[in-house]
Amino acid sequence: MRISRRLRSISAAVAALALTTTLAACAGSAGTGPTAAATSDTPVAGGTLVYLEQQAHTNLYPPSGGFYPNGGVLNQITDKLTYQNPQTLAIEPWIAESWTSNAALTEYTFKIRPGVTFSDGTPLDAAAVAKNYDTYGLGNKELKQPVSEVINNYDHSEVIDPLTVKFVFKKSSPGFLQGTSTIGSGLVSLATLAKSYDELGSATNIIGSGPFVVKNEVLGKEVDLSARSDYKWAPKNAANQGRAYLDGIKIVVTAEDSVRIGSLLAGQGDLIRQVQAYDEDQVTAQNYQVHAAPTKGVNDSIAFRPDNPLVSDVRVRQALLKATDSAEIVSTLFSENYPVAKSVVAQTAVGYVDLSAKLKADPSESKKLLDAAGWTLGADGVREKDGVKLSLTIYESLPQPQNKQVLQLVAQQWAKVGVKLNILAGDAGSRTVDNLDPEKTPLTVAEVGRADPDVLKSQFYPANRDALLQKGGSSTKVKSFSDTTLNALLEAETSQTDLAQRLKDVADIQNHLIDQALVIPIFEEPQVFAAAPYLKGLAFEAVGRPSLYGVWLEKK
Amino acid sequence: MPSYLAGRIGQALLVLWAAFTLSFILLQALPGDALLIKYQNPDMGLSPEQIAEIRASYGADQSLVLQYLHTLGNFLTGNLGYSVSASVPVLDQLATNLPATARLAGLGFAAAVLLAVGIAVLANLARFAWLRTAIASLPSLFISVPVFWLGIVLIQVFSFRLKLIPVINPPEWQGLILPVLTLAIPISAPLAQVLLRSMDDVLTQPFISVARARGASLPWILWHHVARNALLPTLTIAGILFGELIGGAVVTETVFGRSGLGQLTQQAVDNQDASVLQAIVVLAAAVFVVVNLIIDLIYPLVDPRLKKSLGANA
Repeated sequence: MRISRRLRSISAAVAALALTTTLAACAGSAGTGPTAAATSDTPVAGGTLVYLEQQAHTNLYPPSGGFYPNGGVLNQITDKLTYQNPQTLAIEPWIAESWTSNAALTEYTFKIRPGVTFSDGTPLDAAAVAKNYDTYGLGNKELKQPVSEVINNYDHSEVIDPLTVKFVFKKSSPGFLQGTSTIGSGLVSLATLAKSYDELGSATNIIGSGPFVVKNEVLGKEVDLSARSDYKWAPKNAANQGRAYLDGIKIVVTAEDSVRIGSLLAGQGDLIRQVQAYDEDQVTAQNYQVHAAPTKGVNDSIAFRPDNPLVSDVRVRQALLKATDSAEIVSTLFSENYPVAKSVVAQTAVGYVDLSAKLKADPSESKKLLDAAGWTLGADGVREKDGVKLSLTIYESLPQPQNKQVLQLVAQQWAKVGVKLNILAGDAGSRTVDNLDPEKTPLTVAEVGRADPDVLKSQFYPANRDALLQKGGSSTKVKSFSDTTLNALLEAETSQTDLAQRLKDVADIQNHLIDQALVIPIFEEPQVFAAAPYLKGLAFEAVGRPSLYGVWLEKK
Repeated sequence: MPSYLAGRIGQALLVLWAAFTLSFILLQALPGDALLIKYQNPDMGLSPEQIAEIRASYGADQSLVLQYLHTLGNFLTGNLGYSVSASVPVLDQLATNLPATARLAGLGFAAAVLLAVGIAVLANLARFAWLRTAIASLPSLFISVPVFWLGIVLIQVFSFRLKLIPVINPPEWQGLILPVLTLAIPISAPLAQVLLRSMDDVLTQPFISVARARGASLPWILWHHVARNALLPTLTIAGILFGELIGGAVVTETVFGRSGLGQLTQQAVDNQDASVLQAIVVLAAAVFVVVNLIIDLIYPLVDPRLKKSLGANA
């Protein structure tokens, strides 16, 4: 009895002990619970990120950074003079601590942050910055380095003291300050600038001052980056001011859409670029993250070449604008990450005005306009005038998401009002040559990302991308078309020093483009990425290139 | 024999020159060129004057004859130039991609031969007619499988579902398993078909009946009499199939994201990158010529009867 009682008391003690331990354990876990939640917001250092790209990078001369695979590499290895806050679009200090400009905006002076070095050990000082901008602003013929698209009217630089540099312009350049924050204005060491343009396709030749350094490259396949341990010059307002959290990044080219998504979901990759709208559900269904970064520039659109007599009549262009139902295109092909266009530029763009009232689809109005313009329905359902069919040709644009499907839907919509749209795929050479000839391509696909009103000039000005193909522009095949009103507005906007007036000019440009029906905006194009659930701190620069500086991996 | 070899090498050089010249003419005949595609791209935002300057700096404004002589001269001195679209020396691109493709194609070809021989032997050894038919119809199945689809299915099953082999950053030998299979299966089909057919032919020859009458077993006959005799037509077709390996490699390398000549060719074609394409064309022609020369030299080893005719030629 005694024994059994003792036994019982022992077992009771053991049970009690067990209970307390369990309780303690529970208490412990309950106690660590909140801290665990807290740590999930506290970055941990270490790990290598595997980033799957759809295409290999090409030339990494920073002004060629517009191509997304290039920007994906350059944004990690180069810093810029200024940082454009992706939310507010304000320009904030980065390598430049402060800056001033004269009232006419023909001179900009930048104070460089002291102690910044390129990864080859050379200083990033006023002289280095001056050499970078002289190259980007004027090009270097001997080394075949072309001029940057974002720097207009550049004249020369002056090194005032080791940490002060001044840029002088031939004309007012209000877009220049924002231009210093773009991917095309990444700062590279003098050793890189001394190399021929032909050799800048090797990532190992690009020496920047960024948080990561190119460690190794397998041409066309893989770029390995490693963190710079002495990095301490992040944008002034960034949360992290020290070295990057990641130890390294492996950028692996994986061309196949299904292999990229499959690899991400199977845990072989951590971050992938170019997720099609129809694949988004597959990613979110497994609690993976979809990041859609807006590109804040000219929307995914169809632009007219009015030099072609078929579309020289504004009524025909307006009819086609009204025949296009962009809401139907978006709801059929895309997801909520692709907003229907409400103007020529995205809602997130600087100077955007809501023109959705002018962009409503109205097939019956469209038919009336075509009738009034003298195009009558033929026996085969295609309108004709003087024996000529209203049959238009466009090349599909490979970089734009599901562009072929978009154009096929447009073709169906236009067929309802009696207009035929032929969609060509073609090889790159034919596409490039034909796209310069308004007779062959009365239409073209247009889109450009840049978070500054200068983006409109980039897209439509004859000396720039010349989407409408004007006389004296990029093509010698143009006979007479020139839109002097538009060009005057674009010139005024890009040299307007008064911000309020500049925004008004931007609004006028948008109204002009839509009233003259020179462009049919369809949707706001995002850059869509997918990431593993444990990937934290992913950020994007102003037009959707990933910034991996603040990224950390919760487990792995 | 030495004069025969010299003749063959002379022939080979002629083939290489023809391949070079023909590819130069064809590339010039296409609309547009690499410089136009690259610099006219709206992403570059260059003006027509700037583009004209760049074209001049590459010598693209010279006459075609001058450009041809210039390129030929560079080629002969081993200067393959730069890739316009990728902005790296073509030699570097070849150095990165050639070994990868050589491994893939070499192993793929070996695997295809193994598969083909396996199918042919198994079909002949099969005891039941239905099994024989089933095995013999495998090549038809293999040849109709699209390489692209096969690659994706293999990845889905072995990498994403069973998680046996990673597609991203696999260890080199592991990473070769699925691509080699993908490449080998369609290539093995014509080999197996020719092998099956020639084995059938040899098996009906009188000397086989004699061997059987003497009590030799079927496997013994297959190994000692049939194999060697059936090998000749198979060798011929193998030489031709080697060219198809490069074609298969384009798709295989793209699906598996491997670097290699296939992927390089595809990109060069997309961008009409003339210097890269010409280097690849000449390289492919050289490999083709060498492989076929080797096969011609192997013939007499396999079949001593051919020694005489070769000697007569020489």
